[in-house]
Amino acid sequence: MNDVATMAGSQQILVDEVFPHTLDVVWKTLTTPELMARWLHMEPVGFSPTVGTRFTYQTTPAGPWDGVIHCQVLDATPNQRLAYSWKGGHEDNVGYGSRLDTVVTFVLSAAETGTRVRLSHAGFVLPRNETAFENMSKGWTKVVASIGALAAEQG
Amino acid sequence: MIEAAPITAVMRTLADPTRRAVFERIVGCDEITVVELTRGSGVTQGAISQHLKSLKQAGLVAERASGRNVYYRAEPEGLAPLVDWMSHYAVFWRDRFADLRTLLKEIDP
Repeated sequence: MNDVATMAGSQQILVDEVFPHTLDVVWKTLTTPELMARWLHMEPVGFSPTVGTRFTYQTTPAGPWDGVIHCQVLDATPNQRLAYSWKGGHEDNVGYGSRLDTVVTFVLSAAETGTRVRLSHAGFVLPRNETAFENMSKGWTKVVASIGALAAEQG
Repeated sequence: MIEAAPITAVMRTLADPTRRAVFERIVGCDEITVVELTRGSGVTQGAISQHLKSLKQAGLVAERASGRNVYYRAEPEGLAPLVDWMSHYAVFWRDRFADLRTLLKEIDP
């Protein structure tokens, strides 16, 4: 692990891209369940773009975790911002399927050539010290066993 | 953009079932030689050596020479890119954004 991870303790993923489409079209694609399912490859069960709405995604289970991601809409400002919590996993899992309590945010803005979408997936707690690595080596069997499924899933 | 190269390399290395089996055997013991790895593996020593080379390049295996023997052991740090969800989702979102782009093109040509 690097120093940044050690210091911050919690990390986020950032993706920032411009799509050659209008704000309206991009917003619709990000918030219409049938369309969400087509690019996320998971159906957002119970989703509607209104604050407080709870919904779920079903993904690959791992060990004691059933693979259900529990979400709640935190912000849904049309053509501007969609944010929802993203929780899942199980404390007995190592790596894929370990406990997760994160927030996904899409921020939209008009760009010269279309719509800029900035995604952040925040709140990841990484293995931070040598103890984590020691624990990990004890959990190797588990990690290695799950690698096949994980690699297959990534294609 | 996001950086997802390390996890991709580790996954590509371990996606091969034979190579994964070799790695699992190394994980299962403190140290092991090519000869011992080849025994009962059903593949040639040359093939095992190739897999060891890939595993070394991915940082999953380290070697130690002693006399005429070379001993291989697993490297815990090499698996680090795989042990957290963050790497999983870094790949996930990169791929999904590519699919979002394709879908947008489809519904709004």
